[in-house]
Amino acid sequence: MDKKNSFLKRFWLPALLFFIALILPLVVAEFWVHVFNEILILGLFAAAFNLIFGYMGQLSFGQAAYYGIGAYTTGLLMVKLQWPLFACLPVSMITAGIGALILGYFCVKLRGIYFAILTMAFGQLVFFILFQWYSFTGGDNGLQGINPPVWLFKANAYYYFSLAVVTIGMIALYFITESPFGYTLRAIRDNTERTEFIGINVQRYMLINFVISGMFCGLAGALWGPFNRSVAPDLSSWQNSGHPVFMAVMGGPHHFLGPMIGSVIFTFLNAFVTGFTEYWPLVSGVVMIIVVLLMPGGLFGIIKSKGYFSSRDVGDVKNE
Amino acid sequence: MEFTFLFSQFMSGLTYGLMLFLVASGLSLIFGVMNILNFAHATFWLIGAYICFTFWSLMEAHQFALWVSIPLAALATAAFGWFCEIVLIKRIYKRELHEQLLITYAMALILGDLIKIIWGPTDRLIVRPSIIQKPLFLFGAPIDSYFIFVILMGFAVALGLWWFLKYTKYGHIVKAAVFSREMVGALGIPIPKIYTWVFTLGIFIAGLAGGVQSAIGSVTLGMDTNIIIQAFCVVVIGGFGSLMGTLVGSLIVGEVFSFAILFWPDGAMVLIFVITAAILIIKPWGLFGTPLRA
Repeated sequence: MDKKNSFLKRFWLPALLFFIALILPLVVAEFWVHVFNEILILGLFAAAFNLIFGYMGQLSFGQAAYYGIGAYTTGLLMVKLQWPLFACLPVSMITAGIGALILGYFCVKLRGIYFAILTMAFGQLVFFILFQWYSFTGGDNGLQGINPPVWLFKANAYYYFSLAVVTIGMIALYFITESPFGYTLRAIRDNTERTEFIGINVQRYMLINFVISGMFCGLAGALWGPFNRSVAPDLSSWQNSGHPVFMAVMGGPHHFLGPMIGSVIFTFLNAFVTGFTEYWPLVSGVVMIIVVLLMPGGLFGIIKSKGYFSSRDVGDVKNE
Repeated sequence: MEFTFLFSQFMSGLTYGLMLFLVASGLSLIFGVMNILNFAHATFWLIGAYICFTFWSLMEAHQFALWVSIPLAALATAAFGWFCEIVLIKRIYKRELHEQLLITYAMALILGDLIKIIWGPTDRLIVRPSIIQKPLFLFGAPIDSYFIFVILMGFAVALGLWWFLKYTKYGHIVKAAVFSREMVGALGIPIPKIYTWVFTLGIFIAGLAGGVQSAIGSVTLGMDTNIIIQAFCVVVIGGFGSLMGTLVGSLIVGEVFSFAILFWPDGAMVLIFVITAAILIIKPWGLFGTPLRA
């Protein structure tokens, strides 16, 4: 009885969200289906980012690099080699993972502000490579004509495809965060020195996590290209690296679903605000300041005290 | 390649490097003392450039317009920076790293749009006074005579900052605060006040740099995003909180950029990030920094 209760307590929210996501396209206009699709993709991106931020306690300001690598891998394979989309997704994860392995090897040697700056510098490195390498990436024109297969051409069809991929991705991320590996990450976050003393190779764990995060960022990026029918170097710019940070902070980095909820709010707001003003950066900046000043811990941080959620979620020690 | 050509390339690299120094020195000072990485720093720089343009267009008919506008722009930008510090930055002294970064990132977004609202999307161009319209010949190489002014201004600010830090009472306090804020506070010096004035000083230099920049070429929206990333590179290469390091870092980035663009135009920016990353890996605290508060 007790076990069943706690099971319900832990999974009612994701189940509810999934159910809503399942029926939404049937009741809303096509424009909003696109918005929901964006929510899913960016939510996966933010959740992958949160492996580093919420679980490992380091701030990466360059995850857009791996998002961009994933997007360009799929884009290039589909446009230049006419690969099927299904084959592109795993390959994008692998290329993004390799990118994260090479760049992350250096990043995990640093902590705190230096970690943030090096990830950002590498992010810009990837951005400028994509931006300048005209013959291969199309430079600042990006790549056009990344069309999904015919049966995924309709907005609803691609939405359900995204939903399936993102759901699988989120479940995989959940298992990773609940595994002994995930708890080691929390230990590194809460006390790096002590973790080292009990014989854990902190750098190696951080690197593995960096690669996993990069792979899922790459998967999210891979979904973006066919969704948008094009990719551009902006996907890997530092401004784009700021989005998952903000989503995670807004939703609550100390809850597994926090980044996804953050994506819902952020993307909705974006779709809504850009409908009547071009000053989206201004609005998003104001929202960011309000969130950071008035709701530290994000949305989940506020409602957590009411006990709707199991406290096991991210094993939050810091905020208690 | 001819010597004169290389020399003029060197001079434009020097100009660019010193412009970067003007932006990065304030960034480094603010980070060194307050431990806050100011994403919006280059946006203040751009505001300075636009304000300078506005002042200049009010006095357009006069030859002295530019020379008066630059200091006025610096003062106006500093006043605005002071206001931002009082209203916003003050609230995040004790916050965590990601919150501070998000706040200054949000400030960059907001200020960027405010510039767009106030000055509109059209590029702004200052017509230079006649004294700096003709190039100057140095060793037979034609050098933009305004570049000389930028270079002198850069070195003057570097010298001024050095003098301030070394010989004035407030400079000593600032240097001590870089070393240990707790200790300075324990000696009865009002830390929040020091923070406010350090931030204002940093923004003053940024505004001055913006004013100087406004006569180099046209002032356009979005110029700040490129410069801020390069200023980060400079500060990382030189070491946070080190004036000498920032100067050396700026000159390295300026010259590397200026020469790389000759030999490998597509890779110039990439090269700068490679250098930055290499420094971060080998010496995370930079060439001249000290490994404090890592």
